[in-house]
Amino acid sequence: MKRTFYLEKEKCMGCTNCMRKCPTEAIRIVKGKAVIDDDKCINCGECIRVCPYNAYTSITDKIIDLKDYKFNIAIPSTTVYGQFTLGTEICKIHNALIGLGFDYVYDESWAAELVTKAIKEKVISDKILRPKISSNCPAMVRLIKIKYPGLLENIIEIEAPMEIAARLAIKKAKKIDKTLKDEDIGVFYISPCPAKTLSVKEPIGKDKSYINKVISLKEIYGDMVRELKMHSDRCFSNPSLTGLKWSISGGQTDACDFENSIAVSGLENVIDILEEIEMGKLEHIKYLEILSCNGGCVGGTYNFENPFVANSNIKHILKNIKEERLINDDIEKYKEFKKEGYFDIAIHEDIEEKKPNIKEAVEKMERIEKIYKKLPKLDCGSCGAPTCRALAEDIEEGKKTIDNCVILKLEEK
Amino acid sequence: MKKIKCYNYKIDKNDFVNAGKVSSEIKKNLKKIGFTNRIIRRIAVISYEGEMNIIIHSEGGEIDFEIYEDKIILKINDKGPGIDDVNLAMTEGYSTAPSEIRELGFGAGMGLPNINNCSDNFNITSSKNGTKIESTICLE
Repeated sequence: MKRTFYLEKEKCMGCTNCMRKCPTEAIRIVKGKAVIDDDKCINCGECIRVCPYNAYTSITDKIIDLKDYKFNIAIPSTTVYGQFTLGTEICKIHNALIGLGFDYVYDESWAAELVTKAIKEKVISDKILRPKISSNCPAMVRLIKIKYPGLLENIIEIEAPMEIAARLAIKKAKKIDKTLKDEDIGVFYISPCPAKTLSVKEPIGKDKSYINKVISLKEIYGDMVRELKMHSDRCFSNPSLTGLKWSISGGQTDACDFENSIAVSGLENVIDILEEIEMGKLEHIKYLEILSCNGGCVGGTYNFENPFVANSNIKHILKNIKEERLINDDIEKYKEFKKEGYFDIAIHEDIEEKKPNIKEAVEKMERIEKIYKKLPKLDCGSCGAPTCRALAEDIEEGKKTIDNCVILKLEEK
Repeated sequence: MKKIKCYNYKIDKNDFVNAGKVSSEIKKNLKKIGFTNRIIRRIAVISYEGEMNIIIHSEGGEIDFEIYEDKIILKINDKGPGIDDVNLAMTEGYSTAPSEIRELGFGAGMGLPNINNCSDNFNITSSKNGTKIESTICLE
């Protein structure tokens, strides 16, 4: 699998909205319908977000899949805590998931706190190549692989909280019921975006994910709201405040507390900053948090609540929980987990370098330039390519012809 | 070896509006050709520092970006006023940039040393009629 959403062709009007927004120019309109090039798609979900006809549908697992396992664990993304009315206790959200049939809920925020520790250590000990870039957002790792391969080595090779949470949850499950085998346990991640879903189905930097199924939050949101209303019991929430911050932009850098760090969210902003790093301009920055969605993970396309409202809900939780009561015995075992390789992933190994045939490449560029000069440079998108330059490239590769340009055709008449 | 392609870019003095555009363009072309990341990184730094030097310190100038089969040459030439003491200018941290430019985050005195560090071959001559830098990066 290379993509965790698909286009419902009958809903697509060929309007070009998604094509223009795509950060890697992976979309073309062919015969009035959007077509995605899977080799270029980073699963950021921008197309899903901007489609006015809701033609993109997420591929998601469902609650019914719980029957495949004896013991089911839910790991809600920390963003889930910001999706319900202000003041909704985290423990209530966990209870709602239990109500839906899960046997156990593991709080991702504790894993985020562990990962924060690992990042801190790595950034302090490894001073070569600055800034170190966060690997948490899988869409950004893919963006760097495709558009900024020179920065791949800057990405910090540390596992994402969702995977750490999965491994710790499996451990807990086996403690609760000692007869459980690996295949009896189903780990379900409640995902805010297609990128995180893909990171399970097609992991980068490791052989397999410890998560078995991914349910998009939108898929079970309604059921969760109904469950929340059914329980009025008072309960005690126990998240990691450090880890909870990870759900909003600036949370990682805030949790790491480095002197020189930058937090950037939103694709356009991330692209600007990566361009600067390629020029060697930000070597004084220790750590760079980059998140595909505006506002951070609360801006993920599978979330229900407006990202700014969700941000305020999360901040409300952060403010209103008494810190001294929060405990999780996994935090003390950090050194043990590190030794066992919990945080290790290998992203840099993917760096592939081919020696270019300069002459051929320059000739190709010149052919493209020649075609481009004939085009109107309006970037109107009517031809089905996002820009006139993209059309020139498509024509050179034989995928389109100059007749696809509507403006030139009108001028002919 | 034969020259495959040459690009020429004009740069105006004090043109902070377009600052970085030329090096960004050069970088884009290098990526399209498919040069290795290490080469692109080095040339990006050289062209950016060269471009900023022209904008900050000179009366304007140009960058010639030449691609050969086995090397790349960047010629960074300006129209003056020249560098008084080239050796001093090559020292890391030495800067003649005025304070208002430093406030913009430029002029840390790393420009020429950075270009030198990223080049396989570096040549600089300067007179009051202009400074000429030739930086070569070998592809093998």
